[in-house]
Amino acid sequence: MKEKRKGPFSRAAGIAEGVAATVRRLQREREPRVLVYDPSGYARLIQPEARGHDRIMGLAEDMLSEAAGRE
Amino acid sequence: MPDTLTPERAAERLRELSADVRAAVLLDAAGSLASATEEERPRADKLADLARRLFEEVDRATRDWEAEPPEQVEVQVPGGAVFASRTPRWTLAAVAKRGALSSLMLYDLQAVLGELEGRPPIRRAASVEERTPGPATEEHAAEELPMPELGG
Repeated sequence: MKEKRKGPFSRAAGIAEGVAATVRRLQREREPRVLVYDPSGYARLIQPEARGHDRIMGLAEDMLSEAAGRE
Repeated sequence: MPDTLTPERAAERLRELSADVRAAVLLDAAGSLASATEEERPRADKLADLARRLFEEVDRATRDWEAEPPEQVEVQVPGGAVFASRTPRWTLAAVAKRGALSSLMLYDLQAVLGELEGRPPIRRAASVEERTPGPATEEHAAEELPMPELGG
């Protein structure tokens, strides 16, 4: 069971932990990766060593370059 | 705004929904460009070709999976991300800014495809429409989240 925090400093520490966890999660979400979703929304990762992974990454990078070229 | 979204307006409609979209293209079932946010035709054609090949590669990579063919794709790359969604008739792909929220981007793609299929368009709440317009980006939305108060 999670220990209940007491006092303002403990609460502040709890909030800081929460913010840090959110930042870590956002950083993880932005790591290079390929995710596919089936019609029900279930997500699966195409592993970096999987067939086609590098080509998919390359195509996405090319798309980004095309979009950036306009800006 | 007309009630029925036309393919010619779909890419721009996605950019209206999400300020994180840098560029978007809509392809028809044959893989031909139907609309783009890009004004320059060669660049739009190039993006459309890349988007078509993206789903081809995804289908190739997942063909041995015992699952339905993927409907949506998310590729995070340094500097941004690419999101794509498809129906039997359309494929919509978007290049997004770094930091775009995946769940919102995928939702917006599905919403635009839904509008193309005749589902009702997403509208802002009437109370928001009456307000002075400001930059309605996902980043700003995140900034407006209520912060918990200390003490007490």
